[in-house]
Amino acid sequence: MHHRWLIPLLLVLLGTALPVSAAEQPASPFFPYPMKVDRLPNGLTVIRVPFNSPGLIAYQTVVRVGSRNEVEPGRTGFAHFFEHMMFKGTKNFPEGEREKVIAAYGYDDNAFTSDDITVYHSYGPTAGLLKLVELEADRFRHLEYSEPSFQTEALAVLGEYHKNAALPWLKIEEELSRTAFTRHPYGHTTLGYYDDIKAMPQAYAYSRAFFERWYTPDNILLIIVGDFDDAALMAAVQKHYGPWEGKSASIQLPKEPPQKQERSVHIDWPQSTQPQLLYAWRTPAARLDTSDAAVQAVLGSYLVGSTSPLFKELVLDKQLAQDLDGSTMPHRDPHLFSVSATLQKEANRAAVRASLNAAVKELVTGKVDATRVEAIKSRTRYGLLMNMETAKDVAQQLSWYAGIYGTPDALARHVQKISEVKPGDLVAFARRYLTAANRTVLSLTPQQAGGQK
Amino acid sequence: MRPLLSRSLALGAALYLGGCATASRTAPAPEAAPPPAPPPAQAQTPAEPPAPTSVPARPLQQPEPARLVVQAHPDSPIVSFRLVFHSGSVDDPKGKEGLGALTAQLLAEGGTQSLSSAQLLEALFPMAAELDASTDKEFTVFSGRVHKDFLPRFLELFTDVLLKPRFDPQEFERLRSLALSDLRNGLRSENDEALGKVALDALLYEGHPYAHFVGGTEKGLEAITLEDVKAHAARVFTQDRLVIGLAGPVDEQLQRTVVSRLSALPATGAPRVELPAVPTTGGRALVVQKPTLSTAISLGAVTPLRRGDPDFFPVAFALSYLGEHRQLGGVLFNELREKRGLNYGDYAYAEHFIEERGTTYNRTNIARTQQDLSLWIRPVVPDNAMFATRGTLYFLDQLLAQPIPAEKFERSRSFLLGYTRLWEQTDQRRLGYAIDALFLGTPDYLEQYRAALAKMTPESVHAAVRRHVRPESLDFAFVTQNAEGLVKQLKEQASSPITYASPKSLELLEQDKAIGARPLPIRPDAIQIVPADTFMEK
Repeated sequence: MHHRWLIPLLLVLLGTALPVSAAEQPASPFFPYPMKVDRLPNGLTVIRVPFNSPGLIAYQTVVRVGSRNEVEPGRTGFAHFFEHMMFKGTKNFPEGEREKVIAAYGYDDNAFTSDDITVYHSYGPTAGLLKLVELEADRFRHLEYSEPSFQTEALAVLGEYHKNAALPWLKIEEELSRTAFTRHPYGHTTLGYYDDIKAMPQAYAYSRAFFERWYTPDNILLIIVGDFDDAALMAAVQKHYGPWEGKSASIQLPKEPPQKQERSVHIDWPQSTQPQLLYAWRTPAARLDTSDAAVQAVLGSYLVGSTSPLFKELVLDKQLAQDLDGSTMPHRDPHLFSVSATLQKEANRAAVRASLNAAVKELVTGKVDATRVEAIKSRTRYGLLMNMETAKDVAQQLSWYAGIYGTPDALARHVQKISEVKPGDLVAFARRYLTAANRTVLSLTPQQAGGQK
Repeated sequence: MRPLLSRSLALGAALYLGGCATASRTAPAPEAAPPPAPPPAQAQTPAEPPAPTSVPARPLQQPEPARLVVQAHPDSPIVSFRLVFHSGSVDDPKGKEGLGALTAQLLAEGGTQSLSSAQLLEALFPMAAELDASTDKEFTVFSGRVHKDFLPRFLELFTDVLLKPRFDPQEFERLRSLALSDLRNGLRSENDEALGKVALDALLYEGHPYAHFVGGTEKGLEAITLEDVKAHAARVFTQDRLVIGLAGPVDEQLQRTVVSRLSALPATGAPRVELPAVPTTGGRALVVQKPTLSTAISLGAVTPLRRGDPDFFPVAFALSYLGEHRQLGGVLFNELREKRGLNYGDYAYAEHFIEERGTTYNRTNIARTQQDLSLWIRPVVPDNAMFATRGTLYFLDQLLAQPIPAEKFERSRSFLLGYTRLWEQTDQRRLGYAIDALFLGTPDYLEQYRAALAKMTPESVHAAVRRHVRPESLDFAFVTQNAEGLVKQLKEQASSPITYASPKSLELLEQDKAIGARPLPIRPDAIQIVPADTFMEK
């Protein structure tokens, strides 16, 4: 993968200033709970949301690093691998000791990595919160692991690849990424390429560099939701995170050149699965000063959601497709808006493709159903409330959006942006981005179509 | 209803660690080298009762028809409905396997007399309301969630799907085709771990109504007609099998309305299926052959032990200590994954376990008359399949050989006292536990579990484990590419040496020798190979 190193710090692409010191935000229709935000002098952002979960808290650490930061060739999958290494101990709490403390409280404790963010999450008793602050600050500041431990964990990551490898979606994601992006690290998956995973045990020195580059207070947001004493929490945060020093690296990611013509990629899947057809268009980065991400969220539902004419025609009435799907998750850098059809059989490919094309064309010609746009906005508004039943739910939602947009109130602002989408915005977006020249078409054909023996 | 979330995102955007650490770089806290485990037969602790030769069916309790369970939370804006029928895949007629699951799906998705399936989706969509059906061996759940702003309309839709289903021939064909695809592709080809678990079920319960995949067999699904579905709904979704769960801002009027509407269901239907006793033979292996990079392994045994029995809590505690599902503290996780890097995780279960989506907790309302203990070894490279299986048994042997060391016992107890609280944080789960309690006779189940934990001792847990856990009664399911090669290894039982790419402690290498030599309790004449593409054919 081609890349360049540049001096200026261009990590925060959004230009959205984080609040310096403290801010309180009341509940709003776009986020139904009050929120407190502080920013420590070292750049660490601390977001708290009191929530009715007696005796329980959710504690999440969002690091603004993911597979998009893997710029060196042969190092795909490293952000995810490094997430595993964060559980490997420090001088104060050698390997396994943190987990003993965590276990004694009964926390549900884990982490995940995406292409843009890495999130460490603990969910459990308030009684352990102050200890948790100490433990988490300790591992983020003083992580220390041995090379043998590193090499052993690489095998667990290989096991993770193996457990996913039977699923055609891993291959689809690999091929789509590789085709749609020629230079940007979005050209590989978060799990990384198989060969790179197998070579991970040799990359101990690189892993340390990765930690120093990205695991810095100015690149991290803490999110605490639930039943806690805010003053005691903040005192502990100040004490344990306050002395943490470090600035995130100044790497400019390789810029993806504009796409000039349609690309396509085909997968012959050697086993039984349903045939797939996927369209992915290159779309702009998610920013809170544009409506691009919000429009994409609405557009995904509009084109292929369960109440779309396409779904009714292809899935319910003609049954040419088993399912339709879309991927509209906001991304830090320009990424993809994609729709896919799981075909009932290979012979339906041309007809499904024609219907997809017709639905896009209709939008481009300016025909848009305003009633459906309103229904999608209503679903978003109520869906948010439906999906925030526990402290962990709330923390998880906040983590995704705060991590990707780099600002504490990103979830509310994203939801607000969705509420402002107008039917005409879908048309304008489709005209600008949903063109053949800007598209990658992926097809997958199983060896035994539709699973027939 | 369908979330607009791409599967590729679901796969790529949330790579879970599933783990952490304990290998020792410096000398660990004083935990002496584990003593070699004596063979379980050489018990030095209390004499156990003789192993049962079969597990009889002790019928579950039967709550009164259309029993109402309410968890009122006036402050919550979301109303939850949970209708639990004591009907599941055991009720599938022979030759029509999959009928129960397909019937439930057609009711939930196929529209009502006044609304086509598309119109039903359209009505639910702006509410972001959820209306789902899920089927297991003995239970089927229709669950609904809606914001109170839409309660009257949703209530009508939710009850209509059961009372006035559309039974649309086109929807029937669509959902049958989906079920066949889930079997032919989803189960047989795309998920080795799930395939291993279903294969274990098939092996443990051979000849029993639990044996077939809940989603159906290929021939069964092909044979089902729309008339079968209509008849089946009337036979098994009846008042005498129903418990009604309501939670959230639920008032008297809503309770009355729901009960009154559901009284339109048939009062009775098919007689309950009489479940036969299950032989506890053990020593069998099913090797499912398919192209795959790795080997997935599940092992387990049918057990008379279930919730409500005095020994259930201590055995559940011991198996949580051995390997709580997708948590970092279990013995198997630490020994096999963390120290040895064999795979992504290794877990143990005292009762049948199906992960609730989006959590690491067991689903509610999947109770079974005849339960199983199981161990799950996530995929390993094929060369390590024998070692990983032996390793799992080796650490199970240790659980039998001696009480859990005091410090670890306290930590595990403390863990469960906190962790079990997370299992009851949503209205649907709280309802689920309350409804399970009616069938199992275990009121306040989680409170009772925590109370029992407080009283346990390493010795009492050890005694219970010795009464109920018998490695020789285990059956084994493997999913692998080179089935012949694995069968040869299982028959020959040669030792399984293992090498590592990174340095290991002498202590661990010594332990590996004992693991590699641990005999697998598999009878050479009880091993069968099944090609994945014929699995669950009929």
